[in-house]
Order: sequence, then structure tokens, then C-alpha cells
Amino acid sequence: MIEVRGLTKHYGALCAVDHLDFSIERGEVVGFLGPNGAGKSTTMRMLTGCLAPDTGDVSIGGVRDPARSTAARARIGYLPENAPLYRAMRVDRYLDFCARLVGITRRERPRALFAAAESVGLETHVGRRIDELSKGYRQRVGLAQALLGDPQVLILDEPTSGLDPGEIQRIRALVRDLGRSRTVLLSTHVLSEIEEVCGRVLILACGRLVADGHPRDLVEGGGATLTLEVRLDRMSGTAGALAQRLERVADVASVRTAGDRPDGIAAFALELGSAAPALRRAAAERVVREVAAAGASLIELRHEAPTLERVFLQRTDPSFAAAHAVAAKSPTGVAP
Amino acid sequence: MSRVVAVAARELGAALDAPAVRTATLVLAVVLCALFFHIGYPIGELRSGGLWEVRTTNTLAVVFAWLPILLALFVPALTMGSWSDERRSGTEDLLFARPVRAGEVVIGKFAAGLVLLAILLTVALLPLIATAAYLGPVDWSAAFGGVLGALLLGAGYLAIGQLISACAREPLSAFVVAALVLIVSWSPMLLVGHFSGALADGLLYASPAYHYLETAARGLFDLRDFLFHGLLAAGALHLCSLVVEARRWR
Repeated sequence: MIEVRGLTKHYGALCAVDHLDFSIERGEVVGFLGPNGAGKSTTMRMLTGCLAPDTGDVSIGGVRDPARSTAARARIGYLPENAPLYRAMRVDRYLDFCARLVGITRRERPRALFAAAESVGLETHVGRRIDELSKGYRQRVGLAQALLGDPQVLILDEPTSGLDPGEIQRIRALVRDLGRSRTVLLSTHVLSEIEEVCGRVLILACGRLVADGHPRDLVEGGGATLTLEVRLDRMSGTAGALAQRLERVADVASVRTAGDRPDGIAAFALELGSAAPALRRAAAERVVREVAAAGASLIELRHEAPTLERVFLQRTDPSFAAAHAVAAKSPTGVAP
Repeated sequence: MSRVVAVAARELGAALDAPAVRTATLVLAVVLCALFFHIGYPIGELRSGGLWEVRTTNTLAVVFAWLPILLALFVPALTMGSWSDERRSGTEDLLFARPVRAGEVVIGKFAAGLVLLAILLTVALLPLIATAAYLGPVDWSAAFGGVLGALLLGAGYLAIGQLISACAREPLSAFVVAALVLIVSWSPMLLVGHFSGALADGLLYASPAYHYLETAARGLFDLRDFLFHGLLAAGALHLCSLVVEARRWR
């Protein structure tokens, strides 16, 4: 439904989007992740035709170049960041205006307006001026206008930013619901949102796609940390010697000595190459055996739960990636 | 076409709702009355007589003589936000993402401006025409020509104002630049009676105000003037839609 090939955009000397390639099928709800300035909004604006790419191709439902083609734009519902609206207008008049721009006939309009307002829970507010509404309701107006004309593709730029938890839940449920029959691409900073709503995540950093896959696959491929605390005695040797032994254990990518106290208590952080549960358990068993074989006694062994946040930081934050030196590549990842 | 009407209706609704536009209409009406009753002709010389000259009919030429310079200040106030506000508030993206062409939005905004200008001129001129009619017989063809001509002149001004708003970042700078451009375009009228020659004639001919004051304001209809104002508006609107469309490629 969405095809992107070699998409590139410069703002002066700054390269905002750098040779982006991806495609999204009908019925997929895809999360767009990335730090501020990673190029998410620029990419979304190019998908909607608000911005033309320097080079590269966008096609929506088989129609190329939304910047030039009104037919391509007719397939898209777009909620820009911060939901810009004509604030002096009444909700119903604003939606009516949008419906006319989309080309909904006069006869169809009342029904289309009601359906859009109802699906975002706006029915009781249609007679009010937009600037009298709370931020959550303004966001709903933005969402309602994106739904007008029943577009096949929805592009939502941070649809839940600045909303209270109840409103966030409502909008997430709505997006999940919409995703059953449409293609949805939504950007967010809230990682739990991606895990809850999206079947697939695209991570952008510095305008490049650094990861693409199912959130669970990315989490499992992103590695995990095993922290352990042991008591060493004269028999078991130094913390450094134990660290060297642990490094040789299968599936352990790196070992960092996190503490080495004079009373013989040492702590280690082990980076595992994979966070898949079975692999994690097997690696933990091997580590426990190795500690015992070394003659040290295990005090504590803890798994740090793998999260999308960790994957996100690994892929987008060089300092985090350096501190947690696990191979950044994974079967589902895209080499940066 | 329905998209053009949708844009025009929205723009008109927003303008009529804006206190600034209502104030501008009131100010224009008051200023026009004050100029009409207390000052008489503006700077420069006209080749026609005015209300206060000894004539058998009232022509309202004094009022019409003031209109080009007044519209040069008021029209930019109407158009200054037409694109710069959209850009500032981010609503430009909502228009750009719709299956609408830039030209349709430009024409819609222009049509709304024209209706607004017609309302503004009616409110400002009706009391004066009524006063002139009360004082004595009115040259109705000159009155009708003056109003229609003012609308045509205003159409060109609206198109130029919208073009400058599309180029500007801020509404205020759009206002200042547009007012300056329109005043400069009016300024050749100062030459009338003082300078002659091909250059002065050329400058005069390029001035939209000249194509109003010399004919329509005196009740004369010249097809060439219609053509001049029409081409000016069409040219500026076309340029405006190109500027707006080019924003996608920024």
C-alpha cells in the first residue's frame, strides 16, 4: 500500500532523510520510532505529498508521487504533528470544509461527518469552536478530519502526544480498530504504544532506517543483560580471572566487571547476544555452572528484562550502544 | 469547482468572524467620509471635476479619487494572513495533504477576498452616494462605474496582496511589503500634470490606479482597462499558485 524507494531529503546542507526504503502492506499498523530530528515527520510529510523528496519514489496504493498527484493524496488521511486546525471554526463546519476538500458529495456529507465524529468520540462537541476544546478533543478533531473520505492509508504524526492516560488509551484502541481495514503509519515517542498497537516497527536515526521488524523480534534480537553477584575466595581467584572465564561461555557477548569489593563480593554484567527466552535461560544455566566450576558462590543472578527501549537506544544512541557492546545487527535488523 | 467554493466559503466565514476585518471596514468607511467632506482631492491632479465644483450633477469623483490609495492600504490588511497565517499555524500542511491543487486554494481565497471587498466598498460608499443623491442629482453612470471599477482595481490589489503573503513568513511583513508595492504602483498618479513624455506616460500606463481614475471613476467604460485589471489579477494569481506549489519543493 505504501512503497518508498531511495527517499532522500536535504534541508540546505542537512540531510534529513537519507535513502529510505520500505514498504507497508494493507492492514498493517506500523510504528515509526526515532529520536527528535531523526526524520520521522519529514518522511511522513513526503508520504502525504506536503513535501516533495529530493530524490526517490513514493507510491500510495500504486499511485506514484503524492506531491504531484491528487489521486495519490486522495488515498491518504493525515494528522500532522500537534494537530494544526483552524481554531476559530466550529468543529462541524471545519469537518464539513475538510469533507468538501476530499470531494464528499453534499448528500453524503452529513453521514460522513457523523461517522468520523462518532468514531473519535466527538459527537457531543461538534457545535463548539475548536479553540474552546481541550487538547485531547482538538487531537480528536484532527483525527476525525483524517478519517473523512474513508482513506486507505492513515498517517498519524504523534497522535497521542500531550494527552491524558484515558485519552491515550482511547486513541490507541481507535488506531488498533482502524488498522483492521486500513494501513496505518504512526509516529510516537512512547515505546509502550508501539508494543501495544503496532505489528511492526521502523526505527529511524539520522534519516536512515536502522531497524525494521516485529517489536517482539527486535526486542529478542536486541540482546539482554544478565547481572550476577558472586562471592570469591582464595580458591576461586580474582574477579578478573572469573570475568575471563565467563567471557568464554557460549552466547555471552561481553562481560563487564561492575564491582570488586575487598570482602570478596564481585558483580558482573554479561551482555547476551539474544534476548530470546530459551537462549537466555540456557546461557544463564551455563553461567551458573561456570561460576560453580570456578569455585565461586553465586549470590544473585538477575535478568534485565529486554525492552523495546533498549533496542531503540542501541540503534539510535551511539553512547548507549558503546556501553552495551552487543552486536547491533540481528536477523530482523537493518545494518546502519 | 466545489473545492474552490469550499475554500472561499471558509475564508469568507473566517474573515467576517475576525474583529480586525470588521474594524478595517469601519475605519475605511469613516476615513472615506472624512476625506470626502473635509479634504477633497488627493495629491495629484485629475482631469475631471468633483462634487464641490460648480456642476449640474454630482459625480462623486472626489471619493473615487481617494480609493486607489486607500485600497492600497486596506487590501493588504485583508490579504496579509492569507498564506503567512496558514504557514505559521501549520494548517498549510492540511491543505497540501488534501487532493486539492494550489491553484484551487488560491482562487478560493481570491474569490473570498473579492466578496469581502464588495461588502467593504458597499459599507463605505453607500452613505456617500446617498448623501450626494440627497444634495442634488447624481451622475449614476459615473457612480456605478466608480464602484465597479473600484472592485476591478481591488481585484488586482487582492491578487498582488495574496502573492506577497505567499512569499512572506509573517503577516506583518506581508502587509508592509504589499502596501508599499501598491502605493508605489499608485505613485505615477503624482506625475499627472507635472511631467510629460514617453517615460511618464509609460509609468502612468503601468499604474492600476490610472486605469481606474481616468475612466471608470469618471463613468467611462473602456475594455482595455477591464483587460488590464483582469490580466494583472490573473497574472498575480498564477504566480501565487506557482509560489504556493513550490513550497512542496522547499
